[in-house]
Amino acid sequence: MDAQTRDKLLALFDSKLSRQMLLNLDTCSRCGLCTKACHAYASMPLPKYAPAYRAEVVRRIYKKYFTKSGRLLPLLGETKQLDDTAIEELREAAYTCTGCRRCMVYCPFGIDTQQIISIAKLLLIGAGAEPETLSMLADMSVSKGENIESIKDGFAAGVKRLEDQIPAEWRSQAGTAAIPVDVSGADMLYVALAGAHSIVPAATVFNAAGERWSLSFFEAVNFGAFVGDPVKTKIILGRIVDEAKRLQVKEVCICECGTAYRVMRQLSGEHDFKVVSITEVHARYIREGRVKVEKLPGTYTYHDPCQIARNAGIYDEPRFVLRNIVETYYEMLPDPKYNWCCGGGGGLVALGEDSLDFRMRSAKVKADQVAATGAEILVTACENCHSQLDNLNEHYGLGKNVRFLSSLVADALVKK
Amino acid sequence: MHTLYAFVLGPMVYASLAVFFLGTGWRIARILSRPAFAPTLQIYPHKKPSWLYALGDAVFLPSVARHNKPLWLALAVFHGGLLLLVIGHLELVWDFKIFQIVPHSIFLGKGLVGLAMLACLFYFLSRRLASPTKDISVPEDYLLLVLLSLVVLFGSQMDWARSWFGYQTIDVADYRAYFASLLALKPVVSGLEPAGHSFMLVAHVFLANLLLMVLPFTKLVHFIFTFALNKIRRG
Repeated sequence: MDAQTRDKLLALFDSKLSRQMLLNLDTCSRCGLCTKACHAYASMPLPKYAPAYRAEVVRRIYKKYFTKSGRLLPLLGETKQLDDTAIEELREAAYTCTGCRRCMVYCPFGIDTQQIISIAKLLLIGAGAEPETLSMLADMSVSKGENIESIKDGFAAGVKRLEDQIPAEWRSQAGTAAIPVDVSGADMLYVALAGAHSIVPAATVFNAAGERWSLSFFEAVNFGAFVGDPVKTKIILGRIVDEAKRLQVKEVCICECGTAYRVMRQLSGEHDFKVVSITEVHARYIREGRVKVEKLPGTYTYHDPCQIARNAGIYDEPRFVLRNIVETYYEMLPDPKYNWCCGGGGGLVALGEDSLDFRMRSAKVKADQVAATGAEILVTACENCHSQLDNLNEHYGLGKNVRFLSSLVADALVKK
Repeated sequence: MHTLYAFVLGPMVYASLAVFFLGTGWRIARILSRPAFAPTLQIYPHKKPSWLYALGDAVFLPSVARHNKPLWLALAVFHGGLLLLVIGHLELVWDFKIFQIVPHSIFLGKGLVGLAMLACLFYFLSRRLASPTKDISVPEDYLLLVLLSLVVLFGSQMDWARSWFGYQTIDVADYRAYFASLLALKPVVSGLEPAGHSFMLVAHVFLANLLLMVLPFTKLVHFIFTFALNKIRRG
């Protein structure tokens, strides 16, 4: 690595050094309590999967270039030169961490390893060493936003074709279209993912509740956040914010995508509209009697997506919904706060086959946790988690039926 | 020898205190000079008042208690012992009536507190010598444990060691005379020198001075940052 590249990377590093980040970097006592918090370490007990180890990969570079003690006495903290080897280590650290923040629950100080890993991800981008797939997805997402006017008609036509999949009972409830798009003055902007599974059940329930809603032109998923690029994250986020402002909606409802929800809710700043998850909306409809639901047969358990539950506080709503729409519900043990990550976050699922082997091996504890519930149907409210749980189901032969919570709500609707 | 004793018990004490306070202030100022990251970084479930829970996290280490009971016990004994030793040292400086709510002799603990802390430090060290803690440890971690052990060993066991050889005691009045002279910025160490075990006292103060000087520049700053971080976690 030449000096110019290193300087550029160090400038990127410096840009991440907020007050909170310095506290995270300066405080760790390396007690190792976080070690067993990580699903990857719990499944494959190798030191490199300990959260503190991953953080140390970043911290040792930090000490060398940003601390006086690291400069004066480099041996004491085993400081690390930022070079090509360090980039390799950063890549390993960054893309074996799903950003679930379970380690934060264990840490006596509350050190945020995901924040520290965000430095690693940014350095990888600066060095051109990030996973190409994630960068391409982020670029495509940005590009789509830039060319939105040219694809609007095609989008509307595609959405129109989905309307047939909505039960006839609820096709016309929303007014002119079963899946309304670009409705100025709508109460709610629904931001979905690409694919009927993210749009049809949601539209069904919105229409059943008589919601005045509009489907966003944009996908909720934020590949900028997965790859750790703050600029692309903001661009992808910003266009949804702009659309919500243009349509003057009261709420932006994010589909079942953990990262999209957390990013929109926590990183988009203060607005006139409220950011809600679709699970919160469904809980509200049931609580207010806006939809009538019946209990579905079978035994169910729920996987809390880390970005929605531990990192955004949505614990009660999915349980409230499930209590109302399923006959038998089994809680995952020991406690939702300590729920194991599915092993697919942080962009790992988006890496597809490239990360499959690691995802399966690192999430054995999750598979064990799911198996222990004895439930037939495994429910979740996040696209990433769903994909990963599907993979785990097949890999470990769990024999579960993996379902989205929103689709269960649609199935449980009682026709008038 | 007198010159060495006078230096360690006089100017070096001032220097270490200056480095400690200025260093700690600088560490805090360095963090405050950086922009704050605006979005919340808390984890959930949220409990109110968050500052009280954060304080509870910082003081009682509930996450350690839940996930590693032996470590929690050792941390509790070590930090509790540290608190008792701070009180003990303050009583050598001045007659604080408030500390005598529970009547006790000065110096508090008769060396048992230090022994308990030594046992904890030995436990911390043994953890660091085994995987997985070994794999995340750096030389600083070991050296600090050694330094802390030596400070505690020389400090808490000096009276015990004295008894082996029948050396004369250094009583509370001698210490108070010394601390009074320190506070008056005219250190007089002659009252502490004659005892046969004075070398242990000087070694203790020398090592404690070193500890104070390195403290702001090591992971031991967790003593000031832990509440802030826990507050971020609690929201």
